[in-house]
Amino acid sequence: MTDAADGEGRMRLTVVGGFLGSGKTTWLRHQLHAGYLRDAYVIVNEAAETPVDDALLGQSADLEVLAGGCACCDGLSGLLSALRRLCDRRSQSRSDGGRLERIVLETSGLADPAPIVQAIRADPLLVHHIVVSEIIVAVDALNAAAHLRTEALGRRQVEIADRLLLTKVDAAPREDVVQLMATLARLNPGADLSGTILGSLADLPDATGVEGEVLPMLGDGPAPAPIFPTRLKLDDEIDWTVFAVWLSALLHARGDDVLRVKGVIRTPAGRLLLQSVRRIVQSPEILPSRDGDEALDDDMIVVIGRGYRAEDLSCSLKAFAGVRTED
Amino acid sequence: MCSSCGFPAAAGHWTETGAVDAGGRLRARYRRSAVLKRVLAGTGLAAHDGGIIPGIQLSTASGSTMIVTDLEEFWREAERLMGRPLDPLSPDFLGGRTCG
Repeated sequence: MTDAADGEGRMRLTVVGGFLGSGKTTWLRHQLHAGYLRDAYVIVNEAAETPVDDALLGQSADLEVLAGGCACCDGLSGLLSALRRLCDRRSQSRSDGGRLERIVLETSGLADPAPIVQAIRADPLLVHHIVVSEIIVAVDALNAAAHLRTEALGRRQVEIADRLLLTKVDAAPREDVVQLMATLARLNPGADLSGTILGSLADLPDATGVEGEVLPMLGDGPAPAPIFPTRLKLDDEIDWTVFAVWLSALLHARGDDVLRVKGVIRTPAGRLLLQSVRRIVQSPEILPSRDGDEALDDDMIVVIGRGYRAEDLSCSLKAFAGVRTED
Repeated sequence: MCSSCGFPAAAGHWTETGAVDAGGRLRARYRRSAVLKRVLAGTGLAAHDGGIIPGIQLSTASGSTMIVTDLEEFWREAERLMGRPLDPLSPDFLGGRTCG
């Protein structure tokens, strides 16, 4: 990536995509921390209405969160308006310094980057101001092989990438990483592939001559149920202990359906940031305390998954808490 | 880790964060035990954590008891003993509950 805008004076837009929990935010957070994207305006899109990623990306001065709709479908108009505002702001600033030249869009894990790129190209205003310079897709070395076998969306994300970031390469066995690299090369032979560990670049093993996995055809047989986000408000009677017991049982029984859980929960130790990808729960991180309006998002958990009814989640959680409900 | 029994062998489970001091940790264990008892009601299994020995005690109706280290192992063993997973979203578990 270059720092300047393109030859025609358009802003460069970098799209960072990847399946749920693939490490997009971790990578972006590291880039911001290392100062690589300091001049960029960062837009974070989350499918759920409760943003969590902005808590992680505090380093960026210019950060906007578009929550409550995936930018490739429901939230597309919101994204286009945000981009138009940026174009407007830039047009009013001087061209000889300090002008915004780069935008980074982190899509939600459920977004297909293709419609976003198409929409920007089709917009009569944006097409003159913004050029999509790079689509970076994070691919989780631990879980991507499974996603690619079953999720058409995961394949579409990989197929459209200019650059693939193979994340968590230290956590997966070497032979799995090599096999996945070959599978990715089969899906998208044109993309650059680099490995990362917690956002930092990492060496990848040599996959020359390895045959990639032939992925099964999708579409035969019953189609998988659609993935949807559910927001759970943790009421007073549901404390961290009840929630942790419930979530551990849920992930044990439904870890293949519950793709992602994230949220901030207030505990005696402070605000805990909880994140899970399928059955793997990261060690909860204690966030700095916040006051005022922003803390309203605390105790709000987002569960992204399929194969269950949204109302059953809160019902089940209440049953764990021993809350009596009407029969 | 306890120097007598070597327990627990690994760092704390994610479910055991959230308490600041020993008293808070003990309270959280009692609370966890109460929640597990409620959830296991009607399954023939019982959970107990008196706060003295580490881990959670999981007992069958016949009285045989095992100690599990954390909730992950707890659900795994409960599933083994019941012969089916305890699915918090199954109609069996939810019964006739209707939640808004």
